Amino acid sequence: MTAAPPTTGVVDTDVHCAPATIAALTPYLEPYWRTYIQDGGVSLSTTQGGAYPPQAPTSATPAARAAGAVPATTVDELRTGLLDPAGLSTAVLNCTTSFHCNRNPYYEAALTRAVNDWLVTEWLDRDDRLRASMVVPTLDTEAAVAEIERIGGHPGFVQVLLPVRADVPWGNKRHHPMLQAAAAHDLVVGLHAWGRIGNAATPTGITHTYLEDYLGNSQLIVQAQVTSLVTEGVFTRVPQLRVVLAECGFSWLPTLLWRFDKDWKGVWREVPWLDGRPSEVVRRHIRLTTSPAHLPRDAAQVRQVLDLLDAAAMLLHASDHPHDHGTGGDRLLAALTGPERERVQSRNAIDWYRLG
Amino acid sequence: MKIVVSRLDEFPPGERRIVQAGRRSIGVFRVGDRFYAVNNHCPHQGGPLCLGRTKPWVRSAGPGDYAMAEHDALVACPWHGWEYDLATGQSFLGPGEPPARTYDVSVEAGDATGEPVHGRLPGPYVAETFPVHVEDAYVVVDTSPRAPAAGVSGGAR
Repeated sequence: MTAAPPTTGVVDTDVHCAPATIAALTPYLEPYWRTYIQDGGVSLSTTQGGAYPPQAPTSATPAARAAGAVPATTVDELRTGLLDPAGLSTAVLNCTTSFHCNRNPYYEAALTRAVNDWLVTEWLDRDDRLRASMVVPTLDTEAAVAEIERIGGHPGFVQVLLPVRADVPWGNKRHHPMLQAAAAHDLVVGLHAWGRIGNAATPTGITHTYLEDYLGNSQLIVQAQVTSLVTEGVFTRVPQLRVVLAECGFSWLPTLLWRFDKDWKGVWREVPWLDGRPSEVVRRHIRLTTSPAHLPRDAAQVRQVLDLLDAAAMLLHASDHPHDHGTGGDRLLAALTGPERERVQSRNAIDWYRLG
Repeated sequence: MKIVVSRLDEFPPGERRIVQAGRRSIGVFRVGDRFYAVNNHCPHQGGPLCLGRTKPWVRSAGPGDYAMAEHDALVACPWHGWEYDLATGQSFLGPGEPPARTYDVSVEAGDATGEPVHGRLPGPYVAETFPVHVEDAYVVVDTSPRAPAAGVSGGAR
């Protein structure tokens, strides 16, 4: 391993990588599943089921596009494309390749095992600056628990990554054993944008445009997931659970919590396990990544949004490399004071992911 | 001021009475053998608090666990469902929310305790009186609360 270049101390909590094709995962798949892929013509969707259309400006920054890292498929691409130029001390890798798996629960379990082993061998073992999110099957809670038991103790894994688009909200009782297993391994549970295209991008139904799907992640479904996690008592049952909302925006949070607190006061009796105001529960258990940042143009208004959110405590810096969500992230950093910037860009992530 | 609400045997458990005292409306609740009196005015937006449903506490050890207390302990305003403790008027809507006014309730002996006055036995009702003073050239009635005088008829509280 070469000597690490100078670091700015910045921790990037949402950096994408992906196998170039399914051939990259073949060495990590059991023999039966190699034949399943071959016989069935199973491939990995290069757009992840429409999540990242190749020519959409949101899918890659111009620099990443020029480097062909959309996203990075090897650790060398990531070093030259992000780690070295940004001087990152730590990057948390998120591989969402398995989000768009078919609905065969046994194949999904095999694919997620392969992705995790690929992450260890091709990434974590090759650069000390890297940490990663492990992935788990979404159709079989027992299999998800088993995968966390199998590899969740690897020191490079800091998070269990789940798609924000799901069959059933993540707070639902059926998911609790998986959330408990993650917490038992001191892993954060990350909800990341996208999921199966067959899962609606809105809480009410199926869409047919990328625009709806793109906005749905950060403005619609993620709010349903926060509501579910809090209401269903996940944090009462698993008090040590820490959650991150990645690539899901953050400026929507204060208005959701105002109404959440108020309505809970009236109907608390239905959910007596909820042992505090929803806004307090969220503050104790949930953090949000900074990209995409949906913020006003006016600097004074940006500051107001950040104060409503308590941004310095709640946000974790993320480039979302190679995806391009515009200049909101720059406006965010410009609005933070020096000490706040240190917390958002570094300290909060070190604490939340136990990177120390 | 004391307000006689009802004969005990005409006020069974689970019922309530709304009584008027001047401009003030008060709800008197019987839960089991305990009585509570609450100002019929919700501090939130002035709703008729004592027309709302009474409810027990519910506690939980975790999702799906419901442990409901035996007796009602809260009254929920019919306008917005805001809840108050029947005994203390305590609001559970967060810091800064005012409590509802509550009053003491007592069950008092109905049989005559005093001596017959010219052959007539004292009844349960005592009209409210106020001290009257003469200050300079004015006769002044004092309606400010006063400590109950010792030996006043009406029985033990």
